[in-house]
Amino acid sequence: MEETVENLIIGLNDGVISPAASLAMEAHNSPSKLFLVKKIRHLSVVVLAFRGSMLPNDWFGQRGHSPFGETKIDTGKFPSVRSLNDGGDAVVNGSFLWRFNDVLDKLSHAKELKKAIEKKRQVVFAGYSSGGPIAILATLYFLENQTFSPRCLTFGSPLVGDRIFSHALRREGWSDYFTHFVMKYDIIPRIMLSPSSTEHEQILNYFKSKLDRKNINPAPPSGFYLTVMGNASSVASYEACHLMGCRNPSLDIIKSFIELSPYRPSGTYVFCTGNGNLVVVKNPNAVLQILIHCAELGESDAAEVEKRSLDEHSAYPNELKDSLGGMKAVVYLDVDPANDLGLSPQAMLCLQAAEEFENRRSRNLENIRTDRNYKEKIEDQLEKQRKYKENAQISRLGYYDSFKLQKEDADFHANVSRLELAEIWDEIKEMLKEFELPDDFEKKPEFIKLGTIYRRLVEPLDIANFYRHSKDKETGAYVISRGARPKRYRFIQCWLEHHEKKLFGSRSESLFWADVEQLGIDIEKKGYLQEIKDRIHQLERNLIACIGDRSLDDDVLLENSTFVKWWRALPLEYKSQSDRIDNLIREKAAGV
Amino acid sequence: MERRMNQVPLFSSAGELANMVITSNLIDVALAKIFELQRGQAALPCSVQPMVYDPTPNEPNRTIVVFAPSPDSTQYPLPQGGDLVPYPDFDFLCTKECPSVSINGAALELFESLKNHLSVLKTELIARDGQLIITGHSLGGSVASLFTLYLLDSMNKKSKCRPICITFGSPLIGDFGLQHSQWNSFFLHVVSNKDPVPGLFLTSSHSQTTAYKPFGTYLLCSELGCACYDDSDLILKLLTVISSEVAGGLLQVVDYGEILRNLKKRAICKGRWLAVERFADPFSAGIVMELETIGIDWTKHNIDIRRMEAEARSLAMKTKAFDAKKLNDIKKYMALLEWYKKRSKDAGKGYYDCFKNGEFKRDIRIGEFMGHLNAYWEDMVAQAERKPQKEGASFRTSWLFAGTTYRRMVEPLDIAVFYKDGKRDYIKKARSQHYKLLEQWYEEAAKPTTREELDSKKQKVSVLLTEDSCFWAHLEEAILSCKSLTNANSTPELRESSGNDLVKFGEYVMEQIENYAVSPEIFLKDSSFMKWWGEYKAYITSPSNPCSSRFIEFIDFMKTGRYGVYGRSEVAA
Repeated sequence: MEETVENLIIGLNDGVISPAASLAMEAHNSPSKLFLVKKIRHLSVVVLAFRGSMLPNDWFGQRGHSPFGETKIDTGKFPSVRSLNDGGDAVVNGSFLWRFNDVLDKLSHAKELKKAIEKKRQVVFAGYSSGGPIAILATLYFLENQTFSPRCLTFGSPLVGDRIFSHALRREGWSDYFTHFVMKYDIIPRIMLSPSSTEHEQILNYFKSKLDRKNINPAPPSGFYLTVMGNASSVASYEACHLMGCRNPSLDIIKSFIELSPYRPSGTYVFCTGNGNLVVVKNPNAVLQILIHCAELGESDAAEVEKRSLDEHSAYPNELKDSLGGMKAVVYLDVDPANDLGLSPQAMLCLQAAEEFENRRSRNLENIRTDRNYKEKIEDQLEKQRKYKENAQISRLGYYDSFKLQKEDADFHANVSRLELAEIWDEIKEMLKEFELPDDFEKKPEFIKLGTIYRRLVEPLDIANFYRHSKDKETGAYVISRGARPKRYRFIQCWLEHHEKKLFGSRSESLFWADVEQLGIDIEKKGYLQEIKDRIHQLERNLIACIGDRSLDDDVLLENSTFVKWWRALPLEYKSQSDRIDNLIREKAAGV
Repeated sequence: MERRMNQVPLFSSAGELANMVITSNLIDVALAKIFELQRGQAALPCSVQPMVYDPTPNEPNRTIVVFAPSPDSTQYPLPQGGDLVPYPDFDFLCTKECPSVSINGAALELFESLKNHLSVLKTELIARDGQLIITGHSLGGSVASLFTLYLLDSMNKKSKCRPICITFGSPLIGDFGLQHSQWNSFFLHVVSNKDPVPGLFLTSSHSQTTAYKPFGTYLLCSELGCACYDDSDLILKLLTVISSEVAGGLLQVVDYGEILRNLKKRAICKGRWLAVERFADPFSAGIVMELETIGIDWTKHNIDIRRMEAEARSLAMKTKAFDAKKLNDIKKYMALLEWYKKRSKDAGKGYYDCFKNGEFKRDIRIGEFMGHLNAYWEDMVAQAERKPQKEGASFRTSWLFAGTTYRRMVEPLDIAVFYKDGKRDYIKKARSQHYKLLEQWYEEAAKPTTREELDSKKQKVSVLLTEDSCFWAHLEEAILSCKSLTNANSTPELRESSGNDLVKFGEYVMEQIENYAVSPEIFLKDSSFMKWWGEYKAYITSPSNPCSSRFIEFIDFMKTGRYGVYGRSEVAA
């Protein structure tokens, strides 16, 4: 395949990468400035390159309890960089995050940046070595804020975030905005896969003394390659076990006895093979395998490779000039990079497994979309539920109460349908947890919509079932206690809240019935307290808001429903919106 | 070959798992302590001395227990050969497939000699929090394995210590298997293809040699690399090959330190040749490479790669998503049966009789739901039975409640099918083993009913299932006895024994009623129970023995129609 590298990978105009690489190197050598700016006028591009640091403390300073210096990302600044199921917030290197925070204020107020945004120029954040992580976080920060869409170019950058970080980037569709250039043997892009150690310090001190120019030719350290690459290899093998579907239960036990680096690649990687060819890889699992396997030793060149692993860290501008010089380079997209990178058969198997894993995720999605047992079945069952709900209105009872009584055939069929739906959504939930669906599944409007309809329509039935069997006595309240509310609803709610950029927990309209039930129980148990009064007021506000935006169906207002009966029995002094809600109930009664 | 074209490609991860172990420092830590101990106690006479290395400031969460043979025993690791000795102390490892446990005599002798000490050590270690590495070389590894099993049996859910047992060049230990146990995953055995010790008993002419079974994960290695396996048949085969190929059977001492250093270097080397193209069949390519790496010529030793592939494929199916789906499926079938029960009750008959007589069209589907439920629970019971006792017990506590509901709901239907065909004596002749075990386990776990519980049962009895899932079998036998009793052709002896059986049945029913253990649905107008009563009440004979008060109570309960208010909570209250 022959195409210009620059068009293919990042949609940038020709001639940006080489100047960006040079500027990034220059920024690295300019300790007095946080970043350098360069306009490439004829292309309407502005490059900002960040300074790096070779002080070991700026890499592993936030060590804390872990030798990898990781910390949870600041979700105030980076609200999307988290898992929408049980995975939690992404983890990033604490020192890099700290250094980014240090730069952010100056960067936001930089007049060059303001001007570039004003003139709608393409902004490129670039970084060489440990300047790379700053460029990555800055790009991510502005993508989150939607002020403009910068691009990110790094050269020999260390890894910044974990698997969730990479997953979130792909979910948001931002992966293509990040392009990382890596030389075949450069040690720095691999260094974070190994715990901080004396070897790390030796490597960083070597680069530092080169940078300081106190010592023109500092003696390179030796003996570090086996340690650093050995640890990195352990990470790659662990991931390969997953990609290959390892079913040996010892894997988890052994994993709990060893400390593996949490960091994983994200974004698009461009491997510089050294023979003028560039290999472009977008699959982050494949990137990890290539990072380790392409830097493996040959039969007898250990010392030579170790030296190259240091030298190549400084070789980016020249290498890229060579590779991009002719404007056309041989580029591979996720296919057979073995030849140019010189990979072993075992590495080839790992790459095939990474590719197959990706294919499997696409197949699973396709299956959900087209197989009758998934999306189509969900839609069929939801249609049944809708009819059930409609029919239940006739008795002025509403489907919640009708279901709770379980008297009629229809109630029973609704229960079977509830279980059918739970089966499909639970399966999807487990697939998401195991990363068995494409990263952007939770971002796809079709599934957010389908899930939200499901949650609003069917969760009341789960609540009815819960309180019908008095399960609160075993597990505690439906809303509060862990394990009571099925996780499938929590996840689906999360998708919507994320999509609408709302606070987590703000779209809990499907929990209305659980609030009503629990209030009833608590009043019986504790009597009327101030705390109860506050909860009633909150419920009133929620009801009015949710009826208003139609996220809660007005059949809760039906004459004979649990809610209306409870509401009518409630002493007036505990209500704050008595008139409005009475009105709503009257309107509903008139409408039926 | 074409068959596989449509199938999803599979991979073998034996090499990657081994590589992850080798490049981590887990086995370095264990081996270093073994060497430390060996150096330190060269002069000691005791052959296997356990040594505890407590957590250090650098490793605050890690305790290491080392069993290292002294130099003497390394020379003659197994003085007694491969004899297996029954060892009832380890009967906690018994499973359905392995009803008794035998241990290698030499290992057992050592373990027994240390047992007093180990018993104290075990109690102390279980109370600790964090990682616990138990390790040993050669025969020391055997004792380390035995000690780990001993420890695992004493652990419970509250134990915070997380053990792993790592052995180096240890011989096989016993005849029990742990293939279906979680415990299997706590053992990692490192074996060099130059080491004759691990396969020692497999090639000697001893008659018991075939009984040995490996358990845990084996990390097999050669100078070229390593691979991890946990399939016990395959491991047995590979160990046999290794021991047959070690030259002359001479007991040379293998230096695992040197092996580890070499493997660590190998792990980041490309090897001799580079990949030229993608693999069309990555699974067999991977397996062949892994076997070559550990020095096994697979063609020569007749290793069935297709069988391994079939097994891997079936394992690949078992995902968490699949389990979640299955569990919801089971809930759905139970809901369907509950509804069937409710409908039958409304029809005035009870679901047992409706099903037996094939009242509704939907009865056909009921058979299908039963089939799914039975298959699921038979499998769960079988899984529990394949585990060592304690593990099986804790495995089943999580689902015993659901299993009991299932038994009470579905077994009556199986009974209905049985008696519909005109057969006799379900309990002795046809009751499935899984029902028996579910009942046995339930009774083992059940606590005596308190006064409050009995009251609450009284309130709820109308929605409860009949507790004794064999109730209907007892009834069917009573119906048959009643026929013998009333049949003019019956011999007097038969009549008398039938009469006695019926008295016993009456007493049984009354006891169930007193405990609120039977569903009021048996009193529904058209139920078999009421039909039986209708026939029997005319023929109530005084038994040869003095009549029990419970029987009199039963007759009274039925004759006065008190059953009519049984289970009506508003009346009872």
